[in-house]
Amino acid sequence: MTQSTSISMAEIYRFLAQSMRYPSSEWMQDDYFSVLDTFLAELGWNAEAQSLRQSISRDADWLEPLQVEHTRLFVNAIPSVIAPPYGSVYLSADGMLYGPSAEKAKAFYREQGFDLAGEADIPDHITFELEFLALLAEEGKEKEEELFLQKHFRPWFPKFQARVLQEGRHPFYGVLVNLIDFFTREEM
Amino acid sequence: MIIDLEKCVGCHACAIACRAEWEVPTGKDSAERERRRNWVKRLGPSKTPQGLASTYYPGLCNHCDKPACVTVCPADKVEATFTDPKSGATKKMEVAATWKDPFNGTVQIDKERCLGCGACADACPYSARYVNEEEGDPKADKCTFCVERVAAGLEPACVQTCLARARIFGDLSDPNSEVSQYVKKGAVKLESAKVKIGPNVRYYGNKKDMHLLTTTSTPQAMPQANLRRTIMAQMLKPAMDQAKNLGMLGLAGAVIVKGLSEDEKE
Amino acid sequence: MALNLTRRKFLQTASLAAATAAMSGCFADRANASTPFVKKPFTAPGSFADTKTAVGGVCEMCFWRCQLVGKIRDGKLVKLEGNPKSIDNGASICARGNAGVKLLYDPDRLKFPMKNVGKRGAPQWKRITWDEALDECAAKLKGVVDKYGPHGIAMFPHGSSATYPMGFFEKVVGTPNISEASFFQCRGIRDMAYVATLDTPPDENVDMANAKAILLLGGHFGENVHVSHVKRYLKGLENGAKLIVVDPRFSASAAKADIWVKIKPGTDTAFLLAVMNHLIKTGKYNKAYVEANGVGFDKFSAGIAHATLEWAAKTCDVPAKQIKEVAELLAANAPNVSIHPGRHVSWYGNDFQRERSLACLTGLLGAIGVKGGFVKGKGPKVGKAGGWPKINEEHAEAHALHKMAKKHPFSPPGTPTDLIREAAITGKPYAIKGFVAWGQNPIQTIPDQEMTNKMLQQMDFIMVCDIMPTDITMYADILLPESSYLERYDMIKPGTQWDLSGKQEQYISARMPLVSVTAADHERKDPVWITNEIAKRMGLEKHIPVQSMEEKTDKALAGANLSIEQLVKEGGIHVQPGADPYGSVLKVNFFSQEVADAGFPGVPTYIPVPETPKGYARLVYGRAPVHTFNRSQNNAWLVNEMPENPVWLNDESAKKMGLKDGDRIELVNQDGVKSRTTTVVKVTPGIRKDTVYMAHGYGTMNPAMTVGVGKGIDDQSLITKRAVDPETGAHGMRNNFVKFIKNGKVLNIPA
Repeated sequence: MTQSTSISMAEIYRFLAQSMRYPSSEWMQDDYFSVLDTFLAELGWNAEAQSLRQSISRDADWLEPLQVEHTRLFVNAIPSVIAPPYGSVYLSADGMLYGPSAEKAKAFYREQGFDLAGEADIPDHITFELEFLALLAEEGKEKEEELFLQKHFRPWFPKFQARVLQEGRHPFYGVLVNLIDFFTREEM
Repeated sequence: MIIDLEKCVGCHACAIACRAEWEVPTGKDSAERERRRNWVKRLGPSKTPQGLASTYYPGLCNHCDKPACVTVCPADKVEATFTDPKSGATKKMEVAATWKDPFNGTVQIDKERCLGCGACADACPYSARYVNEEEGDPKADKCTFCVERVAAGLEPACVQTCLARARIFGDLSDPNSEVSQYVKKGAVKLESAKVKIGPNVRYYGNKKDMHLLTTTSTPQAMPQANLRRTIMAQMLKPAMDQAKNLGMLGLAGAVIVKGLSEDEKE
Repeated sequence: MALNLTRRKFLQTASLAAATAAMSGCFADRANASTPFVKKPFTAPGSFADTKTAVGGVCEMCFWRCQLVGKIRDGKLVKLEGNPKSIDNGASICARGNAGVKLLYDPDRLKFPMKNVGKRGAPQWKRITWDEALDECAAKLKGVVDKYGPHGIAMFPHGSSATYPMGFFEKVVGTPNISEASFFQCRGIRDMAYVATLDTPPDENVDMANAKAILLLGGHFGENVHVSHVKRYLKGLENGAKLIVVDPRFSASAAKADIWVKIKPGTDTAFLLAVMNHLIKTGKYNKAYVEANGVGFDKFSAGIAHATLEWAAKTCDVPAKQIKEVAELLAANAPNVSIHPGRHVSWYGNDFQRERSLACLTGLLGAIGVKGGFVKGKGPKVGKAGGWPKINEEHAEAHALHKMAKKHPFSPPGTPTDLIREAAITGKPYAIKGFVAWGQNPIQTIPDQEMTNKMLQQMDFIMVCDIMPTDITMYADILLPESSYLERYDMIKPGTQWDLSGKQEQYISARMPLVSVTAADHERKDPVWITNEIAKRMGLEKHIPVQSMEEKTDKALAGANLSIEQLVKEGGIHVQPGADPYGSVLKVNFFSQEVADAGFPGVPTYIPVPETPKGYARLVYGRAPVHTFNRSQNNAWLVNEMPENPVWLNDESAKKMGLKDGDRIELVNQDGVKSRTTTVVKVTPGIRKDTVYMAHGYGTMNPAMTVGVGKGIDDQSLITKRAVDPETGAHGMRNNFVKFIKNGKVLNIPA
């Protein structure tokens, strides 16, 4: 792969990580949506693009429903946090944070010469894993990138994705997890 | 290990300290065994010949003299060397993936070589073993008497946290040890006519509590050897070894165990 | 869809170049948020032997405050253990203490401030920033104060994290309407009754380790666990102390007892009066102590003369012979007897009189200041810091509802819960429109949930600060996530060695963080920071006493010539020589003029409780060793140990009702209120026929508690009939009666 492809891949991982952050008008602006639109168009996901456009531009108050949905899916909710965005919730028997798989992800970061900035960061949060993939891509560590995807990210992501797809009430996160799925799936 | 039921208040600290120490998952394994190394069961209040009684069954691996779990292990035997920490004497033995240490008497598991077939867990009349299937890599697991902690000069996790000092850990072969004193006072093993494999955890208590414990918690029969599971594990072993060579043990192990437990349900 | 397109091929498509170029520029906040990673060389993760030990933890899985150390592997808290330096709990901690790890890493924990954009009780939460949350809390609370006065705010706090904000609301804002669960639904009655009798709150200061006899009224140690307290109890038993347990149920303590008094619930005071009357009549009380220190003894002995063994036997449904046996056993071992004051004592609405009786019995036996008796350890002196100035306390005093209504003169600090609820619902004598819950879950703590709901629904604003999404959080307009006891500086915990007759020592420990709270994936704050930020926004900045929890801790330690730094150096606990605790003498108000003047019986009096209606049994509840009220309901390890709370039913009754051990049932109470969930029956000879029992702290209705929701039955949901202790205004929660429902069929309970 060319260097520029790696850089592009890094940008894409960052874009996906950013997309999983809390919706805010600070970054969710026209630029953002036009990039997203381009992705969807390139992929030929026209129906998805359409439904997204509708839900975002239906009224001026498009942001709050997204924020409510993000909170419900990933933070705290009734009847329950739908899809905590942490790997070990899906990989350990008791569904708690910071299970053995989270420790292993952290060890992988360390092996690659990285550590999390916040002392209490839960290592396998989806944005951390995507940011980490971006760093690997940026450094051209394609093998490590594939290994991380295979050993750490993909074992839980489809379960998380399924919960979001099944329980989501806003098209945005459904489209987004499918997009993440596309960019992290094993190469054919 | 002695458990003094006169002192035990049934607080469950031992069970949870163990879970924390060894990161034991909660719930049940795929063969419906409770995932735990250490448990507390409340007994009664029930009538006994000595009056109304209520006590506890704090259970763990008995590190038996004739462990049923060791003989059923289908893993290939390898030669292992054991050392007596006191005399420094050594002994070589052919062992499968689980064995009884000839010197300290504990029953241990080699997680590297364990096939995760669950035959040992099925063989234990005390249900002291389960299969830990975390991350699709099944391994038998049970109480080790915290040999790793003991080697570091610490008490077993359950003993350390016990506020009642109801768990006494020591050397039964030393006649002056506190545990031996308890044996002299009449601490008993949970054994029955059909289950006599020399358990090394003993219970001490008053008559009515001991009556309640022994009548409710002594296994009355050895588990039916799950021949099919053992045979299939043995048959599949070459394939698993091959898988291991390919660095795919986790995957292969999961597939095989899943296949087996589905078989059971038929 | 481009099915055969893989991600890397996708990258080569031309039109993407523009998109990716735009990407790097499209995030306004990227510049400051940047990447969550920093460069760091790899170090291998350690085994248990390689963990780092963090010192200075003080447990808050319950409120006994055992001292902890944390075992930390690569930033992850792996295990909590008792601090080996502790002269209190030692290296031991209980099941809940051990399970603190799972609280820390519970995915249901509150992570960010949230605003409810849905309905109260059926929330739709939206994550907001701390600034937004604090601005709104301050504006809304100030709005209530401006419109209705400071007393328009009610606060329901619990636990050490609520102490600082409580001081703010009481002293600076100036509201008297504070209902602490630990007083009004727990031990306030005990404290006030002992103050009226012995002029001191008792805590659980009986020297059980050195007692020759121990009397427990409902105490069920083992099911109820506070480490050093249970150590004292067990040491006493080991040394041969006789144990008397008065309980309608064969509890964990009854199972170790020499005498089990299978008492009819609610009649304990009658039992105590008969014991005391027998001691006086037979001259077997401590005459010397009573003569020297007794007040109103003649009035007292005349006032309880009616309490014969036979009268009590009939009232309490126990043999007269057994009551006599208890009295004689206590007399034979006096003064070295532990008459346990109890802890949770808000039972029947006649509880002040029972607690007075216990204090009187203690005095009658001269069991004060002697080995085995009522003895307080002599703890070390430490400083105080973080106290708010009393700006508006006079206003609070003047608006205290119980004082305005001339009710409940022996109320513990704060205001009786029901007066607050009634005022809020009726608007009389004044409106209460702002509500703050801090660490308390009034939904499961306070009887009559419908009344609580009514109070909450009429509020202008509700703010809740907690760690977990407990039931009350569903009612919050703004919900604030607090750092847990493992992540913050907090209170000072002083004390003495657990066995009062041991080597005399004192200790000073402080709650210090075992793990960091700094993270990008959640933002939790400590109570000093939160309260100060609200105070600033309410224009009350100048009254702020400390800037941080750390400063508060350090200042308090300075009062003992210590510092955080020094305490860490000493392994988290400072130990120094102590003083002999024995020899103190207390005056005993056998007859209390103060109580009589307030219009209540000055001599301890048995006030009968409502009889059990036909077909029902009285619902009695207690503790499970793996739960602390409802605070631990979502803990994966604890729930796994005891997933449900079986309801105890007498075996003979069960047979007549056709119920078997393990049958799944629901409960329905005298008001027709059905349990929201089901549980199983525990059939046992170890309970009276007129009583059923279950452990408290199960059956949360908040589905956000994904582990605990719907597991077992919430006893509080069935406590719809309230009793209020007239002297103190605290609740009585054992005057409710239930029937069983199996497969939709209501089953009467035979008498």
